[in-house]
Amino acid sequence: MGRDGSAPIRNHGYCMYERHLAMRKSLYALLLVLTLGAFWVPTQAQAAEGGTVDIVGHTADGFYLEFEPMATVELPRIFLMEDASGSLTLKSYASTAAALQSGDFQLVLDGETVTSDSDLSAAIDSKKHLHAGLQPAVGSVILDFSISRHLIFGLLAMLIVALIGISLARKYKRGVGREEAPHGVFQNAFEALIVYIRDEIAKPTLGEKHEKFLPYLLTAFFFILFANLLGLVPYGAAATSNLAVTGMLAVFTFVIGQVYASKEHWKHLLLGPPEVPVLIRIILVPVEILGLLTRHFALAIRLFANMAAGALVIFSLLGLIFIMNVTFGAGAAYGAAVPSIFLTVFISLVKLLVAFIQAYVFTILSALFIGMSVEEHHHDEHHEDDAHHDTGDLTPALAGDGAAPEKARVSTEREVVAS
Amino acid sequence: MHLVLAAGLLDPASGLIVWKAAAFSILLYVLYKFAWGPITEALKEREETIDNSIRRAEKALQEAKQIQAENDKARREAEREAQRILREARESAEELKEKEKAQMREEMQRMQEQARAEIEREKQGALQELRDEVADLAVQAASKIVKEDLDGQRQRKLVSDFIEDLPQN
Repeated sequence: MGRDGSAPIRNHGYCMYERHLAMRKSLYALLLVLTLGAFWVPTQAQAAEGGTVDIVGHTADGFYLEFEPMATVELPRIFLMEDASGSLTLKSYASTAAALQSGDFQLVLDGETVTSDSDLSAAIDSKKHLHAGLQPAVGSVILDFSISRHLIFGLLAMLIVALIGISLARKYKRGVGREEAPHGVFQNAFEALIVYIRDEIAKPTLGEKHEKFLPYLLTAFFFILFANLLGLVPYGAAATSNLAVTGMLAVFTFVIGQVYASKEHWKHLLLGPPEVPVLIRIILVPVEILGLLTRHFALAIRLFANMAAGALVIFSLLGLIFIMNVTFGAGAAYGAAVPSIFLTVFISLVKLLVAFIQAYVFTILSALFIGMSVEEHHHDEHHEDDAHHDTGDLTPALAGDGAAPEKARVSTEREVVAS
Repeated sequence: MHLVLAAGLLDPASGLIVWKAAAFSILLYVLYKFAWGPITEALKEREETIDNSIRRAEKALQEAKQIQAENDKARREAEREAQRILREARESAEELKEKEKAQMREEMQRMQEQARAEIEREKQGALQELRDEVADLAVQAASKIVKEDLDGQRQRKLVSDFIEDLPQN
């Protein structure tokens, strides 16, 4: 009996040891791959000696998916064009190269329009056309609806969020987590996030109105989170490192805040704080309006800058190898490769952290801004105290209602600075 | 800075904004309808269920405690009552015993006195009877002496005869 009983325990211990060993093995494998990569990269750089690496071009949006060194897949281009006569037409091409080869568009390389066919095909062969401007041969482009890399990865993030959300909801509909305890890593992990957003973000900032805005906050949080995380996937890109995407999200926060705004919010915004003299109110109103817009603008810039910066730093660290190769030769490049790779790994881990932090920061700030405009203001005696606080806000008067949200905001701002 | 601007890093693409806004609106609607709604509802329901269960359990515990306290109180009271009854019973038994004893003593005394009086009466009766008998006998003896008054010898003989004639007891 005793032997039978001890067998599974020993097995379990052995399993743990085996797993530990496997983890260590995979870690070594990862390090090996990274180191090999470090030695492999300079040879590539040598091959491309004299060429330039467009770091910003890689961080910015592009109309192609990169699967280097296997392939570069060009994405379809769709343009809303206006003729000379003023009629609108929608033109679509399978790729940027196809758009150029059709003759409808001309390549603008380094400020000069490429006219000859041979130059054009040379540019296409060297893939320079992907980082250059397009100019319509006739008419003008009203809107560029082209499918871009950030659009693809943004849609992918949305698809992931939708799949997670719906499969999670199906579990709850089946009764798991409704009548019985939540089951499994998937449900528990996401429930923890959802409950955290509800209890730590929505409830303190929005009070009893939190239920109305919770779906938006959850959607924004999970979309940003997965868009951020996709930036860490090989060949992936963070859709949130695009100002258009973060701007769109900030506009959503702005519109939701203004649509559900309370009467007091409009009064405060357009007539100024009531306890202030009229003459000062004339000055304060534009400041308040500016403050409102700046808040949301900063919301977009913060997320964009954080995500773009991460990508830029990684590209810069890797670019160091190439710079070493060009300026000091191959030996220096090999020497620079090892610290560069390790720093890249470190920055990647930081980016993983930042992915969560920025999703959290965007969500809590959105909740705060919505809460500020939705809140039924009560001008109480706290106002004067708050006016003396140096909160670093453009318009202290605007944020002067309720010390708690203000504190939360200041702390999140600090977090942003820290990150 | 020129490089950053040239590559369009800070240049929000209008087409992308349109695509993303449309896609995000759809995502928001889909998730609101099919994901967050049911999930938050389920969470709320579960929380309420847990809340209610806890409250019910607490209430039940409170009730149980109260019932226990009541039971304890009743038990203590019953014990006290039982003790009281026992004590009272003992006291009354003692009292009864004392009373009986006193009664018995009294009875005995009475019986003793009665016996003594009887004896006295008997004694008096017996003495009276003896006295009467003695008187009769004296008279009889005197009359016999008088009748046969001859000589001293004879008289002595008479007296001794008489004494011999006396019943032995």
